[in-house]
Amino acid sequence: MSQVFHEIEKKIISTLKIEPKLTPEKLQDKTQLSPDQIRRGIEWLKLKGLANVTESKIIEYSLGKNGLESFRKGLPERRLLDSLKKGSMNSSDLQKELGPVFGPAIGLAKKNDWITFVDNKISLKNPPSNIPGEKTLEQIGDGQILSEKIDQIDLKSLLIRPDFLIEKINKTKEITLAKTAQTLDFSSPDLGAIDVEAKVPDVYVTRTHPLKNTIDEIREIFVTLGFTEILGTMTQPSFWNFDALFTPQDHPARELQDTFFLDGISKKKIGTSEQIKRVSESHKKHWRYHWDISEARKMVLRTHTTCVTIKHLSEQKPDEARLFSLGRVFRNEKVSYKHLVEFNQIEGVVIGKDTSLRDLMGIQREFYKRIGITKIKFWPTFFPYTEPSLQTMVYNEKLGKWIELFGMGIFRPEVTKPLGISKPVLAWGGGIERIAMLKYGIDDVREFYNNHLSWLRSATKCQ
Amino acid sequence: MPVVTLNYSSLQKLIGKVSKKQISELLPFLGLDIESEENNQVRVEYSPNRPDYSTDIGIALGLQGLLGIKTGAVKLKVKKSKDYSIKVNSDVSKIRPYVTAIVAKNGKIDSKILEQFIQMQEDLHMGIGRKRKKSSIGIHDLDKISFPLTYTATNRSTKFIPLKSQNENSVSQIIENTDVGRDYGHILGNSSKVPMIFDAKGETVSLPPIINAAITTITTKTKNLFVEVTGINKEDAEDMLSVVATILQSAGFSLESVNISGSKNSSPKFEPRKITISSKLVNQTLGLNLSNSKIVSSLKKSRLDATVKGTKIVCTIPPYRFDIFGPMDLVEETALGYGIQNLEPILSPSQTIGQMNPISLQLKSLNQIMIGLGYLEALNSSLTSKKVLYEMTNRIASKTISVLDSKSQEHTILRDSILPGLLENLSRNIHESYPQKLFETGTIFLPNNPIDEKISFAAISAHKEANFSEIKSILQSLLKIGFNLKIETKTFDHETFQKGKTASILIQGKQVGIIGEISSKTIENYKIRVPVVGFEINLSGLIFD
Repeated sequence: MSQVFHEIEKKIISTLKIEPKLTPEKLQDKTQLSPDQIRRGIEWLKLKGLANVTESKIIEYSLGKNGLESFRKGLPERRLLDSLKKGSMNSSDLQKELGPVFGPAIGLAKKNDWITFVDNKISLKNPPSNIPGEKTLEQIGDGQILSEKIDQIDLKSLLIRPDFLIEKINKTKEITLAKTAQTLDFSSPDLGAIDVEAKVPDVYVTRTHPLKNTIDEIREIFVTLGFTEILGTMTQPSFWNFDALFTPQDHPARELQDTFFLDGISKKKIGTSEQIKRVSESHKKHWRYHWDISEARKMVLRTHTTCVTIKHLSEQKPDEARLFSLGRVFRNEKVSYKHLVEFNQIEGVVIGKDTSLRDLMGIQREFYKRIGITKIKFWPTFFPYTEPSLQTMVYNEKLGKWIELFGMGIFRPEVTKPLGISKPVLAWGGGIERIAMLKYGIDDVREFYNNHLSWLRSATKCQ
Repeated sequence: MPVVTLNYSSLQKLIGKVSKKQISELLPFLGLDIESEENNQVRVEYSPNRPDYSTDIGIALGLQGLLGIKTGAVKLKVKKSKDYSIKVNSDVSKIRPYVTAIVAKNGKIDSKILEQFIQMQEDLHMGIGRKRKKSSIGIHDLDKISFPLTYTATNRSTKFIPLKSQNENSVSQIIENTDVGRDYGHILGNSSKVPMIFDAKGETVSLPPIINAAITTITTKTKNLFVEVTGINKEDAEDMLSVVATILQSAGFSLESVNISGSKNSSPKFEPRKITISSKLVNQTLGLNLSNSKIVSSLKKSRLDATVKGTKIVCTIPPYRFDIFGPMDLVEETALGYGIQNLEPILSPSQTIGQMNPISLQLKSLNQIMIGLGYLEALNSSLTSKKVLYEMTNRIASKTISVLDSKSQEHTILRDSILPGLLENLSRNIHESYPQKLFETGTIFLPNNPIDEKISFAAISAHKEANFSEIKSILQSLLKIGFNLKIETKTFDHETFQKGKTASILIQGKQVGIIGEISSKTIENYKIRVPVVGFEINLSGLIFD
């Protein structure tokens, strides 16, 4: 493996080859690099396994308040022993002479059997020549000294006394070269080679929105399957969204709690008089209620794109056509990870030859195949405007379960006849967000409309 | 969609020899979606047009058919009885004109069946009953009632002890003070009188469509039932009754007739309907080549009756299957009986040539150029809030288009501009790295006889050095490269933009949009810490009609 080194790395390695153990500060001195360059260089070498960093602690002692007093006047017990050298004394005189250190001095001297008490008189018994701590006290004096230079047993006797010593801990780093680095040679020129293995920063991509991308893919699939795209408005009179699709005016789907009605907005011209007459008659006959044109005029936000297709078919009455419409639809739902008030739907129709239920299933299977879904099955279901009606279930490997995708069916004669459509019409459709969620592996549908740059800049297709 | 909880062992008891696995695999082929499955229980969603599936008894009938254990239509056996009758007084004709009824005897009611009856009743009320407006049911303990009954209108001061109560209440009190009263009292409108069923002793049996009397409450000790349905049309009331009658008979009750007369009312006949279909329609629709006898056996598996008559097939539809309107419904029933899983998809070559809509094509090329210019596409809802659309951007709300009763505060009015949404997006990303450059194309809604929908396009750029000439360059290049259009900009004032740094966008002298630096007030409102420039132009009438 050939490695390419940065100038910083080269300088650090060369310096350490001469002096094998250096602190970052010293390294900085010798290499003339900035502290930040040294820090980065050491980090790189560490990652490459070429340098080791050892951290060590250096302890320094100086004397505290009581330590300094004892340094000047002697340790309390030394002062006691010195006083008794002149002969035995009674305790009150001794207390006067020694002051506040009398107590601790007596205690220590008695414990060590240096003194005896006879008739309230204190006299020397076995005075020692050296008292623990005196040596260290002398050594430190009014300066500072490294812990390693002090007799640790002697030091210990002072450490337990309050305010005798001040401990100062300095942490230091030392850098050494790993064995593999010792043999590196930078004398031959590397002809400007760079580190091709190094990590590089991410670049933010600008792109079509991931959901829009899925929409474009689906649009393209249906165009290649021979379908022509038609567009229509999102605001629609109830007539095309519901009445024309055989949804009775008292149907629960037409209530405020499911559908967005536009406040105080009705459309006067909703269709031809023939369309209105025949649709209303079909309702009266089959649903047995009083059909009200003012209800049909109320404007809603379309709940499906089927209103666009059915209106187109009723106006154009093609003998043969494959059409689709794609766009936003609305439901008055509580927004959650599963539901949005506004989402995208694709919906298509086939009219003309080859319009059996099996053909409809074939188109679905082909579509799913093209978006990468091969495990599918069909279940019967119910839609107010198709008969027979089916739904596709697709198997999602990641979730390990069957999920419901597009619905489909053949428009009911009760829908087509009043609108002057004489041929059977295959229809299918469904939500696009659901497919996009599978494609991008997201489980909260709201993400598509949050416009979080963190997601938009990084979202990756997974299927 | 309504949901029913089923118990596998009770289903097995009802169906006959069948495994749990078989049931679970077949349920979807009746059109029932399995919601969840746990131990011995399964929750399924059924379509409101099949209220017979609100009970395990109804579902068992369907499964028996698919399994071939019992096929053909369920026939109602109603014993003619002279003991039971309802006389209808003409004074109900303006309030709730129709009543129909049946008696069901010698059944066993345990707590589970009771629960299912209540569930079925609720689902019938919600679905075909249209929240009890069209028709509503009362199920009573037959033995607590003295016949003959009278269905008549009475004053709101009439008192009786309603279901689940110990005290006498007047009709007015019930309507004002109880949940059911408040929920359904409005159905009776403002009429001074309300419909009521009284028994021979003058005791109240029911106050339709609101509540039954306490005295007729059914319990697990009840053996004989009296079921009445009232409504605003006779057919719907009888349809509803036929569902209940079918389920009760299948649950082991023997049915007896109730004589109904007076004011255009008559006894229910529970007569099956006949619809004739041809094998041609079936085979063309399904893409199959089934023989007449195969079609007949498939229909029978869907619990209908059918016989071959010449080249046609005559189908007999039991009264509870009022979801069947005509021949096409019978094609579906044939498909279900035949088995959807036996239909193999076929892909015939397309006879037509596909085409993208020209508008979609134009928008796609606009997208590509914007991406090339370093902009990221955003998507926002068309249904947004006053706060985003007006308050945060200091725009003046003149005539807004709002929706009624939105469940979400963030989605109450339709946008008339794209830019405010993009500014809100910046506020969600103040911790992300800059520059942030976004664009969006979408529909805007303008109130105009009644509504104009236009396609609008906006872009914004936010970073330390963002300035007017930068964003004008972007717009200029986009329109030049994409659509060969030349823009001019003229000084303009707009609430969202900074005074002196705003211009109107003109193409061939016509104003099509606005461009400039976003006002510091808006930027502060959103706590954005860098300058923002942007534009919005109307594409309708510019690059397409």
